[in-house]
Formats: sequence, structure tokens, C-alpha cells
Amino acid sequence: MSEAVETATAEQEIDLAGANEILDHYVDMPGALMPVLQAIQEHYGYIPEPTVHLAAERLNVYSSQIFGVLTFYAQFHLEPRGKYIVRVCKGTACHVRGANRIGDTLKERLGIGHAETTEDLKFTAEYVACIGACGMAPVIMVNDATYGSMTVQKMDEVIEKYKKMD
Amino acid sequence: MVNLTIDGKQITVSRTATIYEAALEAGINIPVLCYAKKLLPFGACRVCLVQVEQMKGRLIPSCTTPVSEGMVVTTTSEEILKVRKTVLEFLLVNHVIECPVCDKGGECDLQELTYAHEVVTNRFQGEKFNLETDEVNPLIERNMNRCVLCGRCVRVCDEIVGYGSYSFINRGFETKIATAYDRGLNCEFCGQCVSMCPVGAILPRPFKFKARPWQLKEVDTVCGYCGNGCTVTLGVLNNKVETIRFNDKIGVNDGNLCIRGRFGYSYVNSEERLTTPLVRKGGQLVETSWDEALQVVADGFKQAQAGLGILSGARLTNEEMFLLKNLAKVAGTANLDHSGGECYKGVTEGVAGALGIAASTGTFPQVEACEAILAIRSDFYETHPVFGMVVNQAVKRNDAQLWLVADKRGKFAKLPNAKNLLHRPGMELDVLNGLARVLLDEGLAQTEGVEGVAELKQALANFGSDQVAARTGVEADALQSAARQLAAAKKSAILLAYGLPYTAYSRELGVAAANLAILLGIPGRDGSGLYLCGEKANSQGAIDLGIVPQTGGLGAQAMLDAAANGKLNALYVVGEDMLTSYPDHGKVEKALEKVPFLVVQDIFLSPTAAKAHVVLPAATFAEKDGTFTNAERRIQRVRPGIPLPGQAKTDGAIIADLIEKLGGNLAFTGSAAIFAEIGRNIPVYASVSFNGIGPQGFVWGGEILTPSRRRLQPIGGAVPVEGAFQLLTGSALYHSGTVSTRAKGPQAVVAEPYIEFGREDAKSLALKDGDLVKVAGNGVELRLKVKVDNRLPKGVLFAPYHFAAAGINRLYKGEAAVSVTVSK
Ligand code: SF4
Ligand code: SF4
Ligand code: SF4
Ligand code: FES
Ligand code: FES
Repeated sequence: MSEAVETATAEQEIDLAGANEILDHYVDMPGALMPVLQAIQEHYGYIPEPTVHLAAERLNVYSSQIFGVLTFYAQFHLEPRGKYIVRVCKGTACHVRGANRIGDTLKERLGIGHAETTEDLKFTAEYVACIGACGMAPVIMVNDATYGSMTVQKMDEVIEKYKKMD
Repeated sequence: MVNLTIDGKQITVSRTATIYEAALEAGINIPVLCYAKKLLPFGACRVCLVQVEQMKGRLIPSCTTPVSEGMVVTTTSEEILKVRKTVLEFLLVNHVIECPVCDKGGECDLQELTYAHEVVTNRFQGEKFNLETDEVNPLIERNMNRCVLCGRCVRVCDEIVGYGSYSFINRGFETKIATAYDRGLNCEFCGQCVSMCPVGAILPRPFKFKARPWQLKEVDTVCGYCGNGCTVTLGVLNNKVETIRFNDKIGVNDGNLCIRGRFGYSYVNSEERLTTPLVRKGGQLVETSWDEALQVVADGFKQAQAGLGILSGARLTNEEMFLLKNLAKVAGTANLDHSGGECYKGVTEGVAGALGIAASTGTFPQVEACEAILAIRSDFYETHPVFGMVVNQAVKRNDAQLWLVADKRGKFAKLPNAKNLLHRPGMELDVLNGLARVLLDEGLAQTEGVEGVAELKQALANFGSDQVAARTGVEADALQSAARQLAAAKKSAILLAYGLPYTAYSRELGVAAANLAILLGIPGRDGSGLYLCGEKANSQGAIDLGIVPQTGGLGAQAMLDAAANGKLNALYVVGEDMLTSYPDHGKVEKALEKVPFLVVQDIFLSPTAAKAHVVLPAATFAEKDGTFTNAERRIQRVRPGIPLPGQAKTDGAIIADLIEKLGGNLAFTGSAAIFAEIGRNIPVYASVSFNGIGPQGFVWGGEILTPSRRRLQPIGGAVPVEGAFQLLTGSALYHSGTVSTRAKGPQAVVAEPYIEFGREDAKSLALKDGDLVKVAGNGVELRLKVKVDNRLPKGVLFAPYHFAAAGINRLYKGEAAVSVTVSK
């Protein structure tokens, strides 16, 4: 095969013990794919490629099918994610009140756009639709904490705060 | 049966039919796009909408809706046409229209539908796809901008090929067909997705920009590679085979092919083909005239008399083999064999001894409906991929239970429902005997009218499940449940492939498989069968025609032994590169060097031909007229698509010339006359005439061949192979024999020899793909490239036998497995 394919399929170093344990639990259950994938994401924080091939082998489905499922549902992450997930609301209300500027600030300060993660695995940016706090638009969330009426300056403060945290 | 009305026509169809199928039967063509005959109904495109009176208010997809009693269907109305047109307009919104540079132009379903429905403008405007073309591999190009999301590629690769390359990914506008992680295609390259794609989204790369479909001459013939005997339709342009066309109308394969049949054709056009006779003068092979060459050969044969040996490759048609047999008679020798020699004994001695017939007892399509299937040898899918696809369908669609007697975790082992009786290398025999013993012990065996029950029982004294488990590594429980399930199935099949890399225990395995089949009541039972599948296109023909040692004559191995010991006067090899394909290279080399007169008739100057005194340039399957008989006894027509290169002649013409030079005279010329003559000698071939062989071929002996006897033959076990590493050789899916190594398609995927390691061994030896290792055994050391896969258990290595350069047969001398050492 060509070199491109070879490097692309090169194995990622990853401890499969966790995935195997999850699979042990579900292997004889029909329709186990979704719960397995959710459990794998829970365990690793995302879905590492080797676990997809492992699940394919053990659940007797194709890797391509699993990839189809993973890309269909927004809940699955194919890349490792940051410790802090910064969700920037791009819903109508937030948009009108300057959500783009907030997103841009994040990009300038941390270098990450939608679905991207900083190299130190600390931050992941996500642009999302209305998160139900339109009254305080523009809104962001960092993990479970919500920050409203965001400005560029407030954004800087929030970023600094989390940068200092572990 | 169900009665319904379609467009005013009253019709009666089977209750499992869909509206679309019912209409087709009534001669009414409903347009379709995502529907394909051989795939399960899907209902994605909505091109096939019809009106059903009983389901007023909406249009119904005819391809997924089953018929029901009294249904009244309308297939064309203004409303239907309007909706269809809208469906097409939607498809064309994102579809990048580039018909002038698309190879599908002229046979594209979308193009035709658009034309037929006069979709000239589009009311809808939308973003066109702008996706990168997948051109990573050399065989299949994927341009997803042309995709209409019919899912046919996804479904064929899953339902039939059982590989599962593709899936729908993403959603909404972003939805597209992709491989896992959206990478370049890297698969079996069987090309089924190419043949299923209704548009130009998946195309064969070797054919890119070569021709428009209407410029091609199409010739239906039979694939020249394996005993599956698939119909291939040659696409010929300017006297060259430029592609293999999709054809599901005739033959046994439903249009399915493997990489060899689909992409392995280029060798016939090769510049390296032999085009003139060569004769050795002053140590050199030099070009000569046919007259001289034939005279030299005839003189040599005359001199050799009964000391002449004749070996026939399975490239020969039945007619040519018949002539060859005549030649042996005229030349006065009994030393005649087909090149498969040793490995055919499972059929000609094993099964023949048991059942009185030397062939498979059923036909391939029946296996799709089997409840239980036992496939012996892990390489079965590799040697007979398209028959393997029938097994896939039996398992995936009909829930057949598949049992494997295998030394690897091969493709079949990944099927749902497959249970792998994974055994130590070379121990198939013991597993089969163990199964037979369970049947006998548990009273599950059918013994009425069966001879030799007591003797077999005695011979199986040491094959209790626990004993077998200890020797083979297959768990006793698994063995027992396999035997029980096989016994419980009303329709079952046993599959065993044979071929040059599987010479060990060849006769014994045939016997053991036949014993098991008899005890399970398989031979002669409706829907069940014992399948012995030859490696080459006309292996079965060679057996039918009796290309075996004649009374008192030597077989293939005995001829080589005699030659090596200076006891054979001349050897005539037709279409086999023995130096590459035979076990024990050293012995073959010695035989070829020692024999005083060696004639090789072939299409390339193979290593074997290079040693000859005379080389005769012959023909490929694509240049021949005649018949092949496949592994299910189906006699099929081989038709010439291209002329012979240079002065090359067909094997038949050469043999006929030689017969004449030797003073024989043939009362018949031409394939039809020879076929008739065959019928006079071999009664089963008499029931059909040459021109009566239809598009589906003719199965001699009928769909189910009834055995003339049921005789169990006592048989022992195998001798376990010792050592930390055991090397197996065999067939790799992408190749067949040695010829495929001259074909661009297979070479594009697997270009060179390799040695395969399982993950565990690779890890402990710190080996990765592409590393070079030294493999030593039988006093020979080879350097081979490493390939790591997850098929092999610990301690088991595999190397394919197709490649001359690898020299696997220097190491492999015909054992079931060779004990080797590995070092870096
Ligand atoms: S070539 Fe065959 S194996 Fe490969 S994707 Fe197409 S159908 Fe599947
Ligand atoms: S690539 Fe071809 S076969 Fe596959 S979904 Fe698209 S149009 Fe259909
Ligand atoms: S090699 Fe065999 S399975 Fe493949 S296409 Fe040819 S006959 Fe069919
Ligand atoms: S639009 Fe941002 S919270 Fe509703
Ligand atoms: S052909 Fe019936 S829905 Fe596509």
C-alpha cells in the first residue's frame, strides 16, 4: 500500500485495557454499540482510533460503520479534548450581541477555533447553538459554569482565570 | 401467489415479490436508482415511486413495497412523473455535472434518468460538493462529488463482499460515503462497488479515459484464474483487453468478481508475452520457425518413446486436454498428469474412493440456502473469493452457521456467526476425524447403506474429543457442538479447496472430508453438498478428462523424481511454472536440468521455460475457444476476445500439430467437434452439445450429483509440526498461481513476496511492516519482508507461494507446515 495509507493507519499508542473491560461487559448484548461508545468516551474523554477498531472486531461490526455513527452524532469526539471546554454560544440572540467577537478573542488568545484543542490539552473551543440564557447574551460556558454579558475584556479575564488553574 | 393489477395488467406473482419485481415480470419497467437486483431493498432515492389505489394520498416506493392481494398499481401518471422529476432535480442540485470528462458517460443511470425525464433546467440552486477525489490506490478512483447517496457501494461491500469499507458519514448536506476515518480506499479491491455505482462516483482507474462504453467490443468468457469459473465480459478495444465489464446477466457469479478477475487481465496484453518459438542452440534459446520447432519436438518425443513425461497445466480447455491425452497415446507414453499432481489426489483418490465420483456433489448457488457450512482451511476465501461471497450471503442474510477448520483467523472468521476451530498448523485431518468420531459416538451419524462403518470406528479410536483437543488445540466442546449442529442441519455444505501450495495430506484430507460428508448424509441430499474446489480455472476439467497417470504411468512427482535420477527421457510441460509453484525447488531444478529433453509451452518465458530446449509460445484464456469446467462441474464456454500475439498459437493447435508430426491423425477439428468426441469418451459430457451450452453453462450430472456408493475409508491423523515457529504457505487473495504476478491489478496491491506475522509475534520480536527478516528451515535461509496482521496465532507464520523471487519453495518441500527459525 502507499505510504500515505501506512502512516495514516499507524497505530496510536493507547492503553486498550479500559476499552476491553467495557467491551467485556457489553459484548453479548444486542445493540450495544451506542452504550459502548459512550462508555469509551467517558473513560478516555474522547474516542481514540484504536478503540474503534477494537470495538469493531469484538462487536462484529465494521470500523467504517462505527465511524459513521461517530460522525452522525455530535456527542462523540474523535480527538482528545481539553480539560476545559469553552462553549461559545452562536445562537441568534448572542450572535446579534457580538458572539463572533467573543469567538475571535478566544481564537486570538488561545489559537483555537471550533472543535479545536490547545496542544497542552487544556482548552477546547466549541461553537454551540442557543444554550438557553439569551437574557445574558452573549454567553459562554466553561465546563459547567456559565458566563454572561461577555465582552472582550471579560473574556480575557475568564481565560486568565482558567489558565492559572491546573 | 398473489394477484394484482399493474397499469391495467392482471398478474400473478410470488408473495415475496415487491411491486417493482412484479412489474418487471409483467414487462413494465419502473425506473430505479438505488435498487439493485442482488442487494436487499433499501428505498433511499425515491425514483421508483408508484401509485397504489389502496394507499391513496401518497406515492409508494415500488422497490421496497411487497405486493398484496388485489393491489391496483399505476406506474406512470402526470403526478408520478412530476414527483420523479423533482427527485431528480434534487439529486442534481449538489451533483457536480461533468459528463464530458466522466468515464461513466453513456452508461450512467443518472444521465439516462435525467434525459428520459427531460430535466433541462433546475428550479433549485444549491452548493455543489467540492470534495477531494480519492486516488490513493491505483485501481479504484472515488469522486464523491458525483455521488447520489444510493448506498449501493455500502451495501454490496457489506452484504456480499463482507468487507465493509464504506459507511454513510456525517449528516445533512455533509452526508457522504466514506471509509473509516475518511481515508483512501484500502481493501480487497474486488471492484464490486465499481460495478454497483449507478453514476461515475466509483470508477476503475486502469480504464480511465480509455474509451466510451459504446466503443468497446464485449466478449463473454470465463475467468482464466481460479476454479470458481466466474463469467467475465472482456471489454476489447483495438485488439486489447482494456477492462472487464460488469455483467450479472449470465454465469454463476451474479456479476461478482474478485480482484484477479476484475483487475488481473493486463497480462494478456503484456509486451513480455512469448511470440515466437524458441529452440536452444549453442546453449542459447534462439528464435526459430514453427516448422523447425515442431520437428525438433517431434523427433525428441519419438526418441523418448515411453520415457516421455507430459504435464499439463490447468490453463488448457477441455478440448485441449482431450488432444493432449491423444498426444500421449500417439507418442506411446503413459506418463501423463496435470500439473496439480499430488494435490488433486483428495478428489481423484479420496472422494472418488468414497463416493465413486471425483467432483463436488452440489452447485454453488445452493450454498446460499444452507443452514450449516463447514469450510476446511482458512484460505478458502482467498483461493475462491466469489464462492466465498456466496458463503458470506448464506451467513449474513440467511443466518447460516459457519464452522471453520482453520489455522488462521481469516476473513471468514470475522463473519457474524462464524465459529473458528482454530487448530495448530497442519492438523486439519485430526479435527475432521474428531468431528466424525463425535457423530459416531453420539449416534448422530447416518450409517444406512454406508460401507466401512466398523473399520472407520476402529481407525478413530484415538480421536476422542479430548485427544483431538490436546493434539490440535481445538476445544473439545467446540468440536462437539460443531458436529451436533452440522448433524442437525437439513441443508449443509462442506468446502475444501485444493491447489499446489496444499500438497500435504491431500489424499487424506479428501478422505476425511468425504467420511464426514457421508456420516452427515450430505452427498446426494437436496440442497447439501461436498465441494472440492480446484485452484485453477480448469482443474475440474483435467480430472473429468482423465489427465492422470495412465495405466502403469508416472504421476507429476514421480516424473520429477525419475527425471532427477536420470530416468526420464523427455519432459513436456504445458502451462506451469514448476520452478516457482512446485514444492521443493531443489528437486524440480535438478529434474529440469537432468532431463535430456525439456519442452515448455507457455505464455511467458518463465523460470521453467528458461531451462527448456524448446519453448512453444501459447495462448491465454482470452484468445481461446472452447470450454472450462469449474469446481461445481459447470461446463462453460470460453470465447476468444483478442487475436494471438505474433506467431503464438493456441495450446490446442500446437498439440494437434504435434500429433500430426508424430504420425497420428485426428478425425476431428474445431472445438465443437472435439467436444462431441469428448462426449463419446466421457459419458457425462455427452448430455450437452458444444453449441447447446447456454449462458449459465451446463452442470454435468445435475445440480445434485448422486454418489454411486458411500464408502467410509479408515484414515489416520497428521504428524504435529514441532518448533517455536511454523511457516505455512498458500494462496493470497490478490493472486492466483503465478500468472497473476504478471498482471498489473494484483501487482498494484501486492507487488512482492512477504512473510506475515501475527501481532503477538511481531511485538515480541520487535518487528514492523517492511522490516527484513531471515527465515531458516529445511537447511535453507531466506530473507523476506515482514507484514504484520491480526490473522495469525502465536508461532504461526505465513508466506504466499506466488512469487518466483521469494523462493518460498526452496524452503517448503510439501510439508503441511515447515518448522523455521526467525532472526533479524
Ligand atoms: S473494491 Fe470490493 S472490498 Fe473494496 S470497497 Fe469496493 S466492494 Fe468493498
Ligand atoms: S458512490 Fe456510487 S454507489 Fe456509492 S452511494 Fe454514491 S452513487 Fe451510490
Ligand atoms: S479468480 Fe476465481 S473468483 Fe476471482 S473472478 Fe476469477 S474465477 Fe472468479
Ligand atoms: S442565543 Fe446564546 S444563549 Fe440563546
Ligand atoms: S429505487 Fe426505489 S427508492 Fe431507490
